[in-house]
Amino acid sequence: MTMAPTPPAPVTAPAHATLRPAALQPAVEATALRKDFGAIHAVDGIDMSLPPGRIYGLLGPNGSGKTTLIRLLMGLALATSGTAKVLGVEMPSRANLARIGYMTQADGIYPELSAWENLTFFAALYGQTDKAQLHAALELVELDTRANTPAQNLSGGMRRRLSMACALAHHPVVIFLDEPTVGVDPALRVQFWDHFHRLAADGATLLVSSHVMDEADRCDELVFMRDGHVLAQGTSAELRRRAGTDNIEAAFLRFATDPAAATGAAATPAPKAQPTGAER
Amino acid sequence: MSPLRVAAVFRRIVAQFRRDPRSVALLFVAPLAIIALLGWVLGSQGAMAARVAVINHSTAPGAEVVVTRLESELEGQTGITIDRSVADDSTARQMLKDKKLDLVLVLPVDFSTQNRKIDLLTLGLNPTAEYASLPAVQKVLISALTDSTVGAALPTIERATVYGSPNATQLDSLAPVVVGFFAYFFVFILTGISFLRERIGGTLERLLATPVSRGEIVLGYSLGFGFFATLQVALVLAFVLGRLDIQALGPVPAFAIGLGVHTAGNPLISYLLVLVLGLGAVSLGIFLSTFARTELQILQFIPIVIVPQGLLGGFFWPIEQLPNLLQPVARILPVTYAIDGLRQVMIAGADLTSPQVLLDLGVLVGIAAVFVVLAAATIRREVA
Repeated sequence: MTMAPTPPAPVTAPAHATLRPAALQPAVEATALRKDFGAIHAVDGIDMSLPPGRIYGLLGPNGSGKTTLIRLLMGLALATSGTAKVLGVEMPSRANLARIGYMTQADGIYPELSAWENLTFFAALYGQTDKAQLHAALELVELDTRANTPAQNLSGGMRRRLSMACALAHHPVVIFLDEPTVGVDPALRVQFWDHFHRLAADGATLLVSSHVMDEADRCDELVFMRDGHVLAQGTSAELRRRAGTDNIEAAFLRFATDPAAATGAAATPAPKAQPTGAER
Repeated sequence: MSPLRVAAVFRRIVAQFRRDPRSVALLFVAPLAIIALLGWVLGSQGAMAARVAVINHSTAPGAEVVVTRLESELEGQTGITIDRSVADDSTARQMLKDKKLDLVLVLPVDFSTQNRKIDLLTLGLNPTAEYASLPAVQKVLISALTDSTVGAALPTIERATVYGSPNATQLDSLAPVVVGFFAYFFVFILTGISFLRERIGGTLERLLATPVSRGEIVLGYSLGFGFFATLQVALVLAFVLGRLDIQALGPVPAFAIGLGVHTAGNPLISYLLVLVLGLGAVSLGIFLSTFARTELQILQFIPIVIVPQGLLGGFFWPIEQLPNLLQPVARILPVTYAIDGLRQVMIAGADLTSPQVLLDLGVLVGIAAVFVVLAAATIRREVA
């Protein structure tokens, strides 16, 4: 019931209508964002600005603070200090959540309810009650034949897909996906990424977290995270060039051991990063 | 507050419940089974048999007459049999130990027409059960002593009550308690566990990522579980108040479904009281689920939350009989007010013009409101 200042667009407005005018401002913005759990700095002062219409890969090992960062951006966790803005609105903002999609790391679906019941329930909370569109959402994740199956009888990968359908059914403009492809078979993973690119082409902004690096090249841009810090940000090619390697995992390790190599974490590659990268 | 979102939460709870036959059974079958058992036990208590011996150690004139009269009059009472073979106190004690006697009346050595003291001897293992036949014995004593001995006539006492009937059974007075208590207990357990599942199953995190508000969640939950509480209370009330006699058929003896407890007041007012109590239990369940990490820990709240309400809420003892320190405790428990209100309505026939019933109802609404606020406060976006 806590309400941040009124967001620019009413909840009921078609999601895409609000997007175009907002195209100039960053879709996701963090300023000196910090979250402490006791002595642990889960997110340790992050500055980040993500322009809209792209897919961002949030990469880092387990415990690097990816989920906490996403929860801060969602307004599900309260920042110790700093601000998080989505579509120009400071989070937490309940009304702004109508324009955001969130696929949690745990599936977050009701095991007793059928796939269809889960989807219609979450969609209704966003005000989405269009049956045809919901059917389409279920078809997209290839669960249309399992609509009446209780979620607890679905396989792990199917539950992951259902969870994704629940996150996307209301056509969000900004989408946070926390490890979306875990447990999803390779063929469907390709389809997922194709769909993500279609959403981005339509103007949506996606932040996809992963602890595996093999999905890095599917993202437009990468954000490397470690110990609550952003190590580096840029396109896959840029980051590899800066690290002086053609392997993205090697690049991550390079930045992790020598943070100076990644200075200029902003999207533009800093020229001063070149000499340090060349030392190797 | 969006009706669409509240309705979505309500529908989801109903759908989840339909898929969970065991919880449905807990809510609907368990209370009926327990109440039926209680009704059966309490309803047949009057038929308890007592074996009685009368022993005379007095040589005073008239003592023997008293013994004879006592024996013959006691024999006329239903459920009492007289053992005339017992001659002295020590034999009687042994027979009590051997479970051959239940009650022994002893006319002591100094018994006389002036000193009409009679000793009553029982085993002392279970006083409640042993004294079950005491009222019948006392009645006989009075008439035996009055008529046979020379003394003045003793008054006899006929009971009358303002409400109900003097012959009201324990069941009549317990029925309101049972109705209120079950609604509270089962609604609390089910809501507590359901909401705990939301918290630990990741669905609460998912819910809070949508535009749904905390108030909408609590309201949707209250409607959902309130709906089932409504059905449950209707069923329990129908069972307690109604009675359907089934004729004997073949090997099946005749039996009755329902307890047929008489209610003096309007059942709808009883219903209202229990419903408000149940809504408080929904919010209490949501609130306390914050402090539990597992379903087992929800069950650990039973001795803390439910049992004290059973002990202090007027179930066994009137609030006024409680120790001074415990009385204020009893007066903050919702079950106390529900039981009082239900007794007023079901036994005294009070209606909504009764200040007592209005007070009970008002306090219950107040307690429910407090827990709604507390419950909403525990559904924080900060769930980590």
